[in-house]
Order: sequence, then structure tokens, then C-alpha cells
Amino acid sequence: MKWRTNDIKQYVQAKEYIDTALIPLIPFSLSNDQQIKELVFQKELMDVYVNHIEQQLKGRIFLLPEYYYLKDDKINEELTKLNRFTKHVHNQPFKYTFLITFDREWRKVIKELDDVELLWIPSMKEGDLSQKETQKMIQSQVKEIEQLIMDSWN
Amino acid sequence: MSDKKHNEVTRRQFLNYTLMGVGGFMGAAVLAPMVGFAIDPLLKGEKESDFVYIMDVDEITNEPQRKTFVIDQVDGWYESQVERTAWIYKNNNGDILALSPVCTHLGCTVDWNSNADFPNEFFCPCHFGRFDSNGVNIAGTPPTEPLHQYEYQITDGKLYLSGKSNPREEA
Repeated sequence: MKWRTNDIKQYVQAKEYIDTALIPLIPFSLSNDQQIKELVFQKELMDVYVNHIEQQLKGRIFLLPEYYYLKDDKINEELTKLNRFTKHVHNQPFKYTFLITFDREWRKVIKELDDVELLWIPSMKEGDLSQKETQKMIQSQVKEIEQLIMDSWN
Repeated sequence: MSDKKHNEVTRRQFLNYTLMGVGGFMGAAVLAPMVGFAIDPLLKGEKESDFVYIMDVDEITNEPQRKTFVIDQVDGWYESQVERTAWIYKNNNGDILALSPVCTHLGCTVDWNSNADFPNEFFCPCHFGRFDSNGVNIAGTPPTEPLHQYEYQITDGKLYLSGKSNPREEA
């Protein structure tokens, strides 16, 4: 399910089946031109990933709005807010909450994240999403992530 | 003089009419394309779905094969390319099936023969929905109707699919 009108109607009627939340963590910053390019590319890449995952597992996963934060901020400062955010999700209830990100900063605070699983994916810094090889690589990685999510269901 | 005035158009009236006529014509000439452009998607109505070549009919086996194809999707003003997937095979009666992999429960993507416990079935990983080899939902699992069937055409031994899939009669 996605955060849009058509899907929400279905979600409200079938809540008991949709027990998994997926939240992309997206850093942004405008201070460095080279960094902007990387961050924008990674955001687009993340859209491709999560849209694929959502399409395959639509009936059980709710792709929630992205969590944005300043890249330059200390990750510890984000922790409190993010934990409050995921707690709200957890209480709905969502049995499983997955945070998905390319930002390895989150790995350093993995123990302090409550009731969630962090999916950290090594990212490309740049690339061409319209290229066949890139799409193939993304697809195989997406398959892996889906398998990981499905494993946690069993 | 006064009689004449009744029958004849004065210079002032003549100029009025001419200007109104020409002005109106010019206005219409400017506005018509704009209006046409604005409501263009409405005038077109629903676009006839195009059929895309998938495979030769003699390549179709009894074992479902997964095929992906790209269609143009028109959504109001916005046109985009979307990838679709179909499971294509012949059933025991020799009928060609081109099934949509979208689970009829809540829309996950089903896979053929993917679960060792349920061989020769379509299996949905989300809530363990199952469909038999004809794509018909198996009682006791969440889906409520068979997998949808793509519209297809066969010309010169070649199979073409449209992006549109429809519910099927209960088999």
C-alpha cells in the first residue's frame, strides 16, 4: 500500500492483513554541490527500490511517507524523533517496521532504535538508472530485500 | 431622408457590425485552440489499449512462463510506460491462458511453483493465498476470485497482449 487516496481506502478495510511498515530514511543537504548530486541520486534510487518492493508485496506492506533529516546534523539528535515516529507506527499496530536507508550513519545507532529492523543498503554514488545493467543489479538486490522481509514473516 | 434611414445601414452601424464581426472572429481564432488543448484528454476518451507482441504461439508450453512487457499508460494528462508481467501457458484443454500475477486478495505479486509445499500452484507470499494450475483460487486461502486474464490476440501464430486484464468466470 502506498500513501495515496486509492490505497488508503483499501488499507482501512483490510488493516488486519497489512502488518508491515516500510519507512525510507532520506538525508538531505544543500551545502555542498557534489554532495547534492549524490543525495539526489540516492533519493531517486531509493524511490525505485521501495516502489519495487511495494509492488511485489503490496497486500502486506505499507510504504509510509519518507523520513527526512539534515545530512549535516548529528544522527543522535534524530534518534529521539525517529523513535517517537516508529513508536506511533508500532502502536497502530504494525507488527513489523522496516527502516530502509543508504546512510550508514544509522548503523552506528542500530542498538538504540526501538522495535524496528534497519535495512541498510550499500549505495552507488552515481549512475544511470535507465541503463539495463543498473536495472538488473537493482532488481536482484530488491529480490534479496524482499526475501529478507518475507523471512521475518515466517 | 428619414425613410432612407430606416432601410439603409448608416456608416456608424456598418462600422460597428464589421468591427464586431471581425473582432469576434479573431477572438474565436485565438480561443478555440486553447479550449481544444485544455479539454483534449477528455475528447480522446479512453485510449484503445495497444496490443504488444509477447511470443510465438508454438513457444507456449503447458508450464507457465513468466513474460514481461511494456505498455503506454495514459492517465488523464500524464502518459507513462509501465511494465506488466504475465504468466503464459496452455491448460489441459489446450486453451491459452495469460494470467495477471496480481493476487486477487490485496494485490501482492504471486509466483508459480515457488513454494515447495504447494507444487504446481500460484503462491502469494503475503498471506499464503493459493491458486491452482488454472489460476483458480483455492478455497480456504484469502483470495476470493481467480487470477485475472489479460486480453489477448493471436495473429499469424503470434501472441499479443494488451495491458488490460479482466476478471474471469469461475472455472
